[in-house]
Amino acid sequence: MSEGAKPYGLLAEFDTPAALMHAAEKVRDAGYRQWDVFTPYPVHGMDKAMGLKNSRVGWFSFLGGSTGFAVGNLMIWFMNRFDYPIPVGGKPLFSPFSAFPVAYELTILLGAFGALLGMLILNRLPRLHHPLLKHGRFKLATHDKFFLVIETADAKYQPEQTRQLLEAAGSARLEWVED
Amino acid sequence: MSSSPHIPNAPPLDLSRWRQVPNWLIVGGAAGALLGLVLSPRQFGYSWLLAFMFFLSLALGGLFLVLVHHLFDAGWSVPIRRFCEHLACLLAPWLAVLFLPIAVLAPTLYGWMSVADPHADHALHAKWPLFTKPAWYAVTALCFGVWWWLSSRLRYWSLRQDQTGAPECTYKMRRYAGGGIFLFALTLTLAAILWMKGLMYHWFSTMYGVYYFAASVWLTVATVYIITMVLKRTRTLEAVLHEHQFYFLGSLLFAFTVFYAYIHFSQYFIIWNANVPEETFWYVIREQGTWFYVGLVIIFGHFFVPFLALLRIDLKLTFGWMLPVCLWAWAMHYLDLAFNILPVAHPDGYPWQWAWLDLACTALIGGLLAKAWLKSLHRHPPYPLRDPRLAEAMGHVHPVASPISGGEMDETDELADAGADGRRGAS
Amino acid sequence: MAGAVPPGAEVRVIGPPQELERVPLVANQRSLAWVSDRVAGIVEGRAPLWWWVAFVPSVVALLLLGAMLVYQISTGVGVWGNNHPVMWGWDIINFVWWIGIGHAGTLISAILFLLRQRWRTAVNRAAEAMTIFAVMCAGIYPALHVGRIWFDWWLFPVHNSQSLWPQFRSPLMWDVFAVSTYFTVSVLFWYMGLIPDLAVFRDRAKTKLRKFFYGLFALGWTGSNRHWSNYEKAYLILAGLSTPLVLSVHSIVSLDFAVSQLPGWHTTIFPPYFVAGAIFSGFGMVLTLLIPLRKWCHLEDIITQRHIDVMCKVTLATGSIVGYAYGMEFFIAWYSGSPYERFAFINRAMGPYAWGYWTMIFCNVVAPQLFWSRRIRSNLLVVWILSIVVNVGMWFERFVIIVISLHRDFLAANWGHYLPTWVDVCTYLGTFGLFFTCFLLFMRFLPMIAIAEVKGVTPQADPHHPLGGAKSGGHPA
Repeated sequence: MSEGAKPYGLLAEFDTPAALMHAAEKVRDAGYRQWDVFTPYPVHGMDKAMGLKNSRVGWFSFLGGSTGFAVGNLMIWFMNRFDYPIPVGGKPLFSPFSAFPVAYELTILLGAFGALLGMLILNRLPRLHHPLLKHGRFKLATHDKFFLVIETADAKYQPEQTRQLLEAAGSARLEWVED
Repeated sequence: MSSSPHIPNAPPLDLSRWRQVPNWLIVGGAAGALLGLVLSPRQFGYSWLLAFMFFLSLALGGLFLVLVHHLFDAGWSVPIRRFCEHLACLLAPWLAVLFLPIAVLAPTLYGWMSVADPHADHALHAKWPLFTKPAWYAVTALCFGVWWWLSSRLRYWSLRQDQTGAPECTYKMRRYAGGGIFLFALTLTLAAILWMKGLMYHWFSTMYGVYYFAASVWLTVATVYIITMVLKRTRTLEAVLHEHQFYFLGSLLFAFTVFYAYIHFSQYFIIWNANVPEETFWYVIREQGTWFYVGLVIIFGHFFVPFLALLRIDLKLTFGWMLPVCLWAWAMHYLDLAFNILPVAHPDGYPWQWAWLDLACTALIGGLLAKAWLKSLHRHPPYPLRDPRLAEAMGHVHPVASPISGGEMDETDELADAGADGRRGAS
Repeated sequence: MAGAVPPGAEVRVIGPPQELERVPLVANQRSLAWVSDRVAGIVEGRAPLWWWVAFVPSVVALLLLGAMLVYQISTGVGVWGNNHPVMWGWDIINFVWWIGIGHAGTLISAILFLLRQRWRTAVNRAAEAMTIFAVMCAGIYPALHVGRIWFDWWLFPVHNSQSLWPQFRSPLMWDVFAVSTYFTVSVLFWYMGLIPDLAVFRDRAKTKLRKFFYGLFALGWTGSNRHWSNYEKAYLILAGLSTPLVLSVHSIVSLDFAVSQLPGWHTTIFPPYFVAGAIFSGFGMVLTLLIPLRKWCHLEDIITQRHIDVMCKVTLATGSIVGYAYGMEFFIAWYSGSPYERFAFINRAMGPYAWGYWTMIFCNVVAPQLFWSRRIRSNLLVVWILSIVVNVGMWFERFVIIVISLHRDFLAANWGHYLPTWVDVCTYLGTFGLFFTCFLLFMRFLPMIAIAEVKGVTPQADPHHPLGGAKSGGHPA
């Protein structure tokens, strides 16, 4: 750790998902807020170990989907019934049945965009620069190692205590991450 | 099971108060049905057919769940398989015997049987020889024969595995399921066509078998959810159940809600859009009088209500929420079958004056089947004791990733060595 | 309520006997690192010889497609064999065929995800790519079929010069929305799945160029669990949305036929029957692609015998459903008593194109029944041949539906015979060029296997498992 700049955080490395999960439970119970774990794949049960709430992506998707359904029906009503009615085959100018397929597809289209964009917005992505991505060892987070980072910005962060907490949690390797 | 809605230390549910219910149903139902039979044999026949097709759905659905359990080599559904086998075994002899009133009254129920000269009626002439009395009774016998053979063989090997634990039993059941699924599809389609679609024999739709199938499995999954829930509360299945069973059953119910809507919408939509008179008349009749409102109730109640009710994951596990949803499914399926069967006798609208007879027939058949099913349940072990997939179904840590490990539900799991341990079922 | 087991009694839990033990999804206990190395290895090394052997003819076929399209657009649809009364010929056959193939990809990525069939992780990426490329091939046909391709924009809700809007009671309009939504959502789903794996490639990249591009498209993914939490929710929702989407797309394609009044087209079972057929053909194509690829790319430990086995079973199941639909169609044609319906089906089985009908029955209903045998399922050569038989059969299914139904309709004066032209044939061959060129480029530059997902199904990835570091667990004795 260089003395001048304040580091971004303390990086703890673990070899197994179980070790990481135990550590996450300890950090959660110690009351930290600005911390995170990094894994090569989603570890099931980790949300609970970290004390995360249910993701809110669903609302974005729901909003997109309902917009799609409404827009689809309104569009067809406006075009085929209101603006330029064309009688075809004795069928009603507007019917919820014949409008259904298109409105349904638009529901799904906008719902899907809602899900993807909701995920990106909630995750603050894309973000092409991140202190961790500059750290050499951290590349293994997408390979086969498991990491836990406590940021120095956390209110409860104390250089020595935080370090001891992570050591006690069984980290195989502790390093500072430059900001 | 930290988020499980039940309280682990609550005393087992005491059902002794309810023990007499099947008897009351039988007595009350029999009285009503007899009165109806005296007043109007024809109306009794339609009410009986409606009640019969309703409970046939349940038994066929049970058979289907058992068949797919074996075909998919499923793990999670082991604990609920035994009582599904009992449901399937209601097909014969119970439902076969209960079919007798329909067999006797068939000439008054099915218009085509009383057509004076079948060859003068083109729609009937074209269906020769299927739409002749001998063929109709023969196909009926064939259906019950197949169902009896399949359901009893599957239960036989399942019970046998309780004693031997031999993998051979699993293979046997899989083999029955393999051939059985074809027979199942064939007989279910024939039954739906001959017993229900044949009421209006001028009408035809290739979807009809799938339609009855989708509705039947939907009803069955709802029923299985209630039964599993009750058997958990009475501690009969408590030891082998995991939260996943409820979650998967809830998801299946949701899936079949959508599947049924898809099937029925497709059938209606294609007929509506093509506008061929030979087909539209069936729906035109069902837009007369109160049938129109019944149709609307089916659109909203059979699809939108359960669809919205089952959308959330956590609600699929909340018994207080699921119980009314499942009971609602019963009402909707009953109404749907009434929509299919009754307009042939009452084209002007639902016959309110005969509602009591519909209920009496349903109560009688329901009471008898409930007694039969309960008897089977008490006589045999409540779940397959030595099924090779039982450990997996209970959610034990498994060397291979399975449908039970992973997914949203694991958010509720604690680590194996951090408290509530992996042997949760054993306590 | 008590059965033979008193409530609350100790339950003896024993694992399954050896022969019924579940087979691991990743064979040979491969480590997490091995999965990254193996999958990235396909992209990182020099292209092997076989890749060039496949790529060069694909590009040649792609050029052929380009030439055919230029010829067709500059001359007119008359260069095809479509003519009265068969106005829908190879173009619509191939449209339905290609789009059907795409359905397996979405089934694997969405429906099997909801069903928690965790074997899907090994094949979903390649199958989704297959979906996208197949839909691209499919999209070419209706765009050209309209004749004057420069008026294609009339299909979209854009106000045109005569102040007209599209006519939304036409099933062909539904198709436009269904197919374009399908393509878009498939790309979204595919891309979202790729993000974590692009991050894997970014972190391994040796050259600046790779680092830049993989880094750009990985969007700064770090593998943070706070991100994974949202990501998994979004994935679940996309799967939930794609499931009704995939059902609706081929249902709407089937409505192109079914809402008409033509015997052989107008039948209520068409939507689910088309969906089952689409999944059937799609799994045929997945097997056709992956059986050679797993060998050439040394992926036998990821796409194991078990995966092949399961996919054969899906093919068997969907083939049987299709068989049920063929049976129902024939039965109801008889049952309806309509002389036109009856004629249409007798003409299928015994008319001038009976060979097409019986090829379809053999390939789609009879041949897949061989998959009941475990020995057949484990013989990769036989499986591969059968997978091609399935695709041939599904092509003939569309031929039967379109050509045989159209060539003899209500009036005998309207009857005719249909033959494709060389342009039809070459355009079809050309779409294979487009498909394989895209697929080969995909497997050279993008992770062909969903790395993060495959890691997630190994035992060492499970924190509840001893190999994942749990202190207890595994099978209780």
